[in-house]
Amino acid sequence: MLLQLNNIFKWVNSGGQRIFLLKDINLEVEEGEFISIMGPSGSGKSTLLNVIGMLDSFDEGQYNFLDESVHTLKEKHRSNLYKEYIGFVFQSYHLLDELTVKENLEMPLIYKNFKGAERKAMVADMLDRFNIVGKKDLFPAQLSGGQQQLVGIARALISNPKLILADEPTGNLNSKQGEEIMDLFKQLNEEGVTIIQVTHSEKNAEYGSRIINLLDGRMI
Amino acid sequence: MIKNYLKIAWRNLVKNKVFTLANIVGLTSAFAVAILLAMTALFELSYDQFHENKGSAYQLYLSNQTPRGTEIGTSNPVPLAPALGTEVSGIKSIARSSSEDVLVIYNNKELNLDAEYVDPSFFEIFTYPTITGDSNNPIPEKNTVSITVEAAQKMFGTSENVVGKTISLKIRREEHPFIIASILKNIPANSSVDFEIVIPFENHPDYLSNIDAWDNMFHAVYLQLENGVTPEQFEENTIAFTELHYEGSIESDIRDGAVPDANGKYKQFHLMPIGNMHFASYRSGVAVVNRIFPYLILGIALVIIFIVSANFINMNIALSENRLKEIGMRKTLGAIKRQLFIQFWLESIFVFATSIIAGLVVANLLLKPFKTLFRTKATFADVTQPSVLILFAMIVFCITLVAGGYPALLMSKLSTLKALKGKLDLGKNRLRNSLIVLQFTIAIILISGTLVLHGQIEFMRNKDLGYNKDQVVSIPLNGKKDSYRVVELLRNELKGNPDILSVSGADNNLGMGRDGSLSSSAMGFDYKGKGVVTNALTVDYDYAKTLDLELVAGRMFSRDFATDSLGLVINEAMAKQLGEEDPLSVKIPMDDGTTFSVIGVVKDYNFQEVSRAIQPLTLFMNNDWDLYYAYVKIAPSNITNSFEAIEKAWGKIEPQAEFLGSFLDENVDRTFRREKTMATIVTSGSVLGILLSCIGLFAISMLVVAQRTKEIGVRKVIGASVSSVALLLTKDFLKLVGIAFVIATPIAWYFLNEWLQNYASRVALSPLFFLGAGLLAVFIAFVTVGTRTIKAASANPVKSLRTE
Repeated sequence: MLLQLNNIFKWVNSGGQRIFLLKDINLEVEEGEFISIMGPSGSGKSTLLNVIGMLDSFDEGQYNFLDESVHTLKEKHRSNLYKEYIGFVFQSYHLLDELTVKENLEMPLIYKNFKGAERKAMVADMLDRFNIVGKKDLFPAQLSGGQQQLVGIARALISNPKLILADEPTGNLNSKQGEEIMDLFKQLNEEGVTIIQVTHSEKNAEYGSRIINLLDGRMI
Repeated sequence: MIKNYLKIAWRNLVKNKVFTLANIVGLTSAFAVAILLAMTALFELSYDQFHENKGSAYQLYLSNQTPRGTEIGTSNPVPLAPALGTEVSGIKSIARSSSEDVLVIYNNKELNLDAEYVDPSFFEIFTYPTITGDSNNPIPEKNTVSITVEAAQKMFGTSENVVGKTISLKIRREEHPFIIASILKNIPANSSVDFEIVIPFENHPDYLSNIDAWDNMFHAVYLQLENGVTPEQFEENTIAFTELHYEGSIESDIRDGAVPDANGKYKQFHLMPIGNMHFASYRSGVAVVNRIFPYLILGIALVIIFIVSANFINMNIALSENRLKEIGMRKTLGAIKRQLFIQFWLESIFVFATSIIAGLVVANLLLKPFKTLFRTKATFADVTQPSVLILFAMIVFCITLVAGGYPALLMSKLSTLKALKGKLDLGKNRLRNSLIVLQFTIAIILISGTLVLHGQIEFMRNKDLGYNKDQVVSIPLNGKKDSYRVVELLRNELKGNPDILSVSGADNNLGMGRDGSLSSSAMGFDYKGKGVVTNALTVDYDYAKTLDLELVAGRMFSRDFATDSLGLVINEAMAKQLGEEDPLSVKIPMDDGTTFSVIGVVKDYNFQEVSRAIQPLTLFMNNDWDLYYAYVKIAPSNITNSFEAIEKAWGKIEPQAEFLGSFLDENVDRTFRREKTMATIVTSGSVLGILLSCIGLFAISMLVVAQRTKEIGVRKVIGASVSSVALLLTKDFLKLVGIAFVIATPIAWYFLNEWLQNYASRVALSPLFFLGAGLLAVFIAFVTVGTRTIKAASANPVKSLRTE
């Protein structure tokens, strides 16, 4: 088992009232799954994703990731954990504007203290795998949206994570580009990467092996 | 329209509270300090500018070619002025003037007044108007004097009905009656000739004995040229005159090997415009008019204004990004460039106006402490002249135009669509970075200046001056009694006190005493066919013992030898000048047939300002020449008690005269007042400079962090640690400070090195001063930026990435 959420609650206090963002979430994810989280705006999809990604905290419940209980870990260990095992893909790509494609890919490796030669080899590998060797010296602004998202996914994958978390990865793309990205996810999943995606589109959700529906912070 | 502008401006200022506050606080303190500094500088610059004849009135000085090089003298012989007046054409009026203290006695009341012995034409040249009496000739007769309102109040308690009263003046050892003929307005604080009582020159104690002596020089000469006569023409006119009257002196200079000047002359009269008098220095053989000090102060004031203005520009440009939507909206609604420009500019003016008013208030509140701290007599009156006010208004207008207008222009120029999208391309922040670099360059220059100035002051203070300055009290002999008698009485009075080690006297002080007087006396004579110049000092017995002077050869004056009044004690520099292998063999025949012989040599000691090299000195012991200072050496224990004992003894001996005794180390400290004032000004300038630069840096770092929020989030999500992000953000700023350091160091080094050349013994200009300044700047910048960046780096990335 990759991760397990038990009775997760998350709330904010607003005007003396407790507003629940996540309510009693129970979820088990096995390695190799491809999960789609669906639901209307404000239903807590992104919040759930952030909790799974350890970017956000929760108020109640237990979260085990690879047999580590995340809720008891200190901030530093937690960030080491997600650095090691989780890659993120965003709707708006979040590439660093002032870095080239190559440098963007290299960045996570620098933070993981890989040596220069090793980094070069891994970046070259990744460029090759995604067919973007020719674009390695371009800046994000010089790429189309689909290409930018390709780089975003490549960056998420470069350090060999066990889990990819994607928050509406195709939200800013046209249908053709979106399809290409989803095909890529499918292919990655077949290669063994666990993927959890948040999406609005039924069609994209179909790519997954399991669909989780959220409404007002509750799984239905 | 205007109302709407003002409303929007107000709301914006309130919305960006931190920045508005940073700006107003920064601008207010900068304006307050700049106003005070400008006031001081303008006051300094206004010295002697109130004389109506300042365009045609001059002080006379003589440039001498001597075997030792060119020397300039402003002291002149008594017969010079009358002779010049009759023999040289082009002179409208000429006056002699000599400053000396005089004891005034009126109905048992004794008062020491600062006197000026002058010719009546003094008042034709200078503008010192009277309140009662003839302004053109306030001292019509030889036995009349004129006093200032202040002196009259000190003496009589009133300045009414004083004219016609008879007072008694003690000139040297005799009392003479004088009639007050007029009352002068108080001498303006910015007059370099300063006095409380004016006495006709013929009453000067050295007047009669020197009436035909061309070789005894002791007073200044001022003159006014006739209309159309230039100083050059006058100098030309005096050539024949000089060759005639100074013939003997020129001959002996030629004999001793003096080199003539470029025109082949050995002596040449020159004129110094009276407006430049306060700033003139003649030390190195050329007359140098030096207004660096006031301009330095003015410079610091401007630099401080520059630093805050740079802050203002930087913050405004950075903040404008948040207002792009507003600009875009206004543009779609039909606003034109000019309207937008005016709107933004109005906001700047609003901030500036508030700050200037607050600055004026603060300056006014700080005026009193400022005046004591910087020892200036400057007042707001010096600044509130119309010309200065207009200049000030223009400067402020220009600053707001640039500081407020530049960001305004930048924004109003933006295309509507770009503005609506909210993207502002500022061209890599080049302007912002260069402004920050400039700010820190200035700050580092000021800090290294502060360090070096304090280093030099400490160096001078701790320097071994060759005498004991910690245990010796010097007392100005300002009473009525004969000076030798006073010293003797002091000796007797303090004899029984075990803490009083020794008492002596001399005719000059060491350092500057509480009487505020600095003087020097020099003489020249021929020794073995060679001209010799030496400083002269008359001393009493026990002088070396009292001051812990070290004897190198021979002995000091002693009561055991009756012939010591014909003996001389010289210092090593003098011995070197005489050039004898055995200085004790030197015998010097005088004009009057007596022969002086050297009986001892003392080790060189700093008898003049510490900044000067030690010159030749000869000590005399001659009861015909008055002493002016008593010296008392006390034991290192019970210092307070001993000092009180001295004061008590003084009160017994001279009950009428004020006790002005002070320790020699205080006196020495007093001689570098100027350095201390300068150090205080530069220090406060650098503290304020670095503080303001940091306010700016802090605000900018805040904005940069805000702009890079997304980047910080992304970096953290892909695994960056807090420290690596903080470092990344801080590095950019520290780089700027580093560049500033590289620019500032050579500039600071050059100017400080130039400045230190004024000192004969000076602190070594070690790289540590600059390194210290640089490190301090880096450290302060690091702390300033670091607090912001660390906070930003440790924030949860989800928050920054959620904005989509």
